Amino acid sequence: MRNPIATLRNRWSDSDARADGGEPASTRSFFDRDSVRSAPFWLPPFLLVGLFVYGAVVWNFLLSLTDFTGIGEPDYTDLDVENYFVAFADPVDGLLSTVGLGGEVQGGSPAWSELTVEPVWNSLGNTIALMVGFAAICLALGLVLAILVDRGIRFENTFRTIYLLPMSLSFVVTAKFWLYMYNPNTGLINIALGAVGIGPVQIVQNPDLKLGAVAFALIWQFSGYAMIVYLAALRGIPSSHFEAARVDGASTIKMYWRVIIPQLRTATVSALVVITVFALKAFDFLFSMYGGYQPGPSADILATRMVREAYANQNWAYGSTIAVILFVMALFIVAPYIYSQYRRGEL
Amino acid sequence: MSSDMNDDGLSRRTVLASAAAAGATGLAGCSSLTGGGTETDAGMSEIELLHAWSSGDGNAAIAALIEGFEEEHPDVEFAEEPVNGAARGNLDQVVSNRLQANDPPSTFQTWPGATLTKFGDAYADIEGEVWTDDLKENYLPGPKAQAQLDGTYVTVPLNIHRINNLFYNTAVLEEAGVDPESLSSPADVVDACAAVAENTDAVPFAQQTSGPWSTIQLWETVLLAQAGIDGYEAFIGGDGDVDQVRSALENVVELSEYYPSDASSISFTEANTMVMEGDAAFIHQGDWAAGAYSGDDEFNYGEQWGQVTYPGSEGSYLLNMDSFPYFDNNPSPEATKTFLSYCGTTDAQVRFNREKGSIPPRKDADVSELNAFQQDQYDDFTSADSQPPSIQHGLAVSPEIKTNITSAFSGFLEDYDADATAEALVGAFE
Amino acid sequence: MSTADTDARLKRLGLYAVLVAMAGFYLLPILTGLFTSITSPESYTGQSPFLPPLEPLIAETGSLSLQPWGNAFDGLARGLANSFILVIPATILSGLFGSMAAYGLTNVDWRGQVGIYALFVAGIFIPYQAVLVPLTQFWYNVVPLQSLFAPFAAFPLVQAYHWKLVALIVTHTAYGIPICTLLFRAHYKKLSDEMIEAARLDGASVSTIYRRIVLPLSIPMFAVVFIYQFTQIWNDLLFALTIVQFGDASVVTQELVGIGVSQAGTNFPLRMAAALLAALPTLVVYVLFGDKFAEGVTA
Repeated sequence: MRNPIATLRNRWSDSDARADGGEPASTRSFFDRDSVRSAPFWLPPFLLVGLFVYGAVVWNFLLSLTDFTGIGEPDYTDLDVENYFVAFADPVDGLLSTVGLGGEVQGGSPAWSELTVEPVWNSLGNTIALMVGFAAICLALGLVLAILVDRGIRFENTFRTIYLLPMSLSFVVTAKFWLYMYNPNTGLINIALGAVGIGPVQIVQNPDLKLGAVAFALIWQFSGYAMIVYLAALRGIPSSHFEAARVDGASTIKMYWRVIIPQLRTATVSALVVITVFALKAFDFLFSMYGGYQPGPSADILATRMVREAYANQNWAYGSTIAVILFVMALFIVAPYIYSQYRRGEL
Repeated sequence: MSSDMNDDGLSRRTVLASAAAAGATGLAGCSSLTGGGTETDAGMSEIELLHAWSSGDGNAAIAALIEGFEEEHPDVEFAEEPVNGAARGNLDQVVSNRLQANDPPSTFQTWPGATLTKFGDAYADIEGEVWTDDLKENYLPGPKAQAQLDGTYVTVPLNIHRINNLFYNTAVLEEAGVDPESLSSPADVVDACAAVAENTDAVPFAQQTSGPWSTIQLWETVLLAQAGIDGYEAFIGGDGDVDQVRSALENVVELSEYYPSDASSISFTEANTMVMEGDAAFIHQGDWAAGAYSGDDEFNYGEQWGQVTYPGSEGSYLLNMDSFPYFDNNPSPEATKTFLSYCGTTDAQVRFNREKGSIPPRKDADVSELNAFQQDQYDDFTSADSQPPSIQHGLAVSPEIKTNITSAFSGFLEDYDADATAEALVGAFE
Repeated sequence: MSTADTDARLKRLGLYAVLVAMAGFYLLPILTGLFTSITSPESYTGQSPFLPPLEPLIAETGSLSLQPWGNAFDGLARGLANSFILVIPATILSGLFGSMAAYGLTNVDWRGQVGIYALFVAGIFIPYQAVLVPLTQFWYNVVPLQSLFAPFAAFPLVQAYHWKLVALIVTHTAYGIPICTLLFRAHYKKLSDEMIEAARLDGASVSTIYRRIVLPLSIPMFAVVFIYQFTQIWNDLLFALTIVQFGDASVVTQELVGIGVSQAGTNFPLRMAAALLAALPTLVVYVLFGDKFAEGVTA
């Protein structure tokens, strides 16, 4: 939202400038325009971002249309969308397998390879499963924690600090800790399971558990973040709302469900956006946990697949293609958010 | 440019590069990769060798090799450039960047065999000049085939690590009542593991499963042992029998019952340490595993540990090699050829392999300077009927096919589904 | 005492029990790692990793040793040094640029700024994967940074391989600008209009206002931004993996991945010590400036 006072004040200063003028008004107004006078401030960072972020995104899209496999220069004269057909080959079976119903997915054979190249369905399915599962539980846990911490407890700062602590760690460090937690002999998880008579359970390479194990570790790391966001939002709700609900005789749970939670929509959306984008970035975690580019089919997400295709298999163009898919997914999450921020005047 | 010259007529760039080579021992460890070789004049091109042996036995081995070369050819300039901390894949990345800039190094460390297809067009024929009749006579057929890309000699294999080994801790096997020499098939290994499990507290078969490479090695060894050299060669030729492939996988599934329970959380070095400390009976590995044993004075060959050819694969020496190829558009053609010729001599190969723990690919080497284990391996090698190339170690199949195989095994490590994996492995060639 | 009172007390007790249990959930993996990391590898059994090494007081817990930390330091020293060389300039640069961009887009008002600003905000959420291949191409095959940088290697303490860190600094700076801009802009919107207006009427130029008024008022926000950026850049693996790739310029996250995969003599005490050592700088920042950290991550 534009600040009305600021706008007004610029009008004034502009007219002042013109009034005492002497130079031709056209050049004057150009150099005096606030966009130009402020350019030394926003332009250099904008150019950096423009070149390294948006320039690279566009370049990456171009690369995804080539057949580049790392030898020689990419050939930008021969562009086609073949890689996208390979990535989404066999869409019917692919989509079925993505939701866990399908069987064999047939790959395609692009011009740059003599072999069949696997489509992205499997890693796409895992990515979506990880994003949804991780985000939902993260938000739910964060909300519950925020409500508990908001109940006027003692040592609130200490609890808050502890809950947010894992957020300061690197994905790489988290992976090392959880690889240890999941160890069948010495891991805390199996010691805990053993205490209630279960196990020991293989987790790290177990196809049924590994994606869940990854999600669990990520929840450990980021639910504190959801808590902090919700806590700030709860603090923003006038206490009269709490009291009004109490006077009506609503139980605590009803009060939160009917009165408070509906007011947390904004917080939920902003936490959700950030957390899903974290899930898109889980590459670091998987790379560290499995010591390389191969987390195995059950935990393979687009983020690992992309880096593996480009940097391990030297299928650069195909890696770029998967990167575009990731970018579009991020865009689908973020664009509505930014637009709504704009509509509400918060940009 | 003359202002850049010092008294010796070397450009500053050359001095920098040499300093980098010297710096491997000091603080100035430097991975500058700009082409030193291309910029010297007066025809005195220097060799620029890229390799990933930046530490440990590999570093000692390359140092010994270069020392030998410089003794024999003091006139040839040498800029060895360890790509520090690099894994082989990273090294390929560097070379790929250099080729993209049309600035190849003189040579670099690479797997020979099918891996050569990766930069196929960039190599040049060195038959006659480097691959003389002497080399052709003294390399056994297996390694000789690996030096060729589509029938053209382009690289010089330098060392051989064997893959079809079974190492064991003597004390643990004695306690279990297992005689390793009596095992004659992969199935016997499974039975021996059962005996170890029953009679001792040790883990029968040390293995890591966090990454697929150890399991691929094991499977290829079992395939060789069960299907024989013909079945193995049919597979790597893209004509594998799915039943043989499945049967080898099933054997691996049986063995996996005897892995450490935290196999998926440990690394190869931790698995190997289990054998050294008597916590495990067997380990299947390339003979670099023995390199760790030789660092321990209280863990000696023939006493505390032993090795047998993986049961069933007797008569074959499953190859993993390193080699130095020759690039077309070479920055230092004559010097590179001189160096590659030197690498083809027994002197060079003994110097290198003494430090590396592997064996010379030439059959006429005097191996009395190597340790007892290496000598035994060398005897096995020279008397082997066949020297098949390793799949995991890039000799047998092209990088693309290997990618598919690795991917199949990353699934195998999750569900140990021999049927599905066998289909995927045979399908890896399509 | 009425039943309602007892009821309320019980509820309160339950509340604290849940809070403490959750604290355990967040702390246990770190504490377990810490206890394991100070156990001598020889005595480590892994039977009760959640207990501190108290042998001979308590059997099977292992005996106290700082040797894993020593080994971890040996293994990570170079990576730690490189990480500091990377993180400090990248943090300062991205913070500074972010502040400039926010100023240019907030306190000076003009029509196109929302559009430009939207691009900045969207930049926060772009997955790194979407730019990796071009970045690798850019730094290795387009910009001859390596040879451009070579003359600087003559300076003391500068090594030829530092060019990779320069590439990484520029990249992280560019990627840090969006979030820094967002953080600063929220702050600048709250700055008093009167003060800036007064300066303007006094004839102060746009840049004087920035230097004399806005920058001094930004200092608390710089603390937040620096803490946030320090953590982000220190913790990153992916850019380092694709731009540094390997070698002498490897940062600590890269070295940490390698520990346990390739390092001979790896064991759990060493792995845990290495993980904690790599996390130590961000943990220290977090413990010292927890509130500012929270402010940064929730902006």
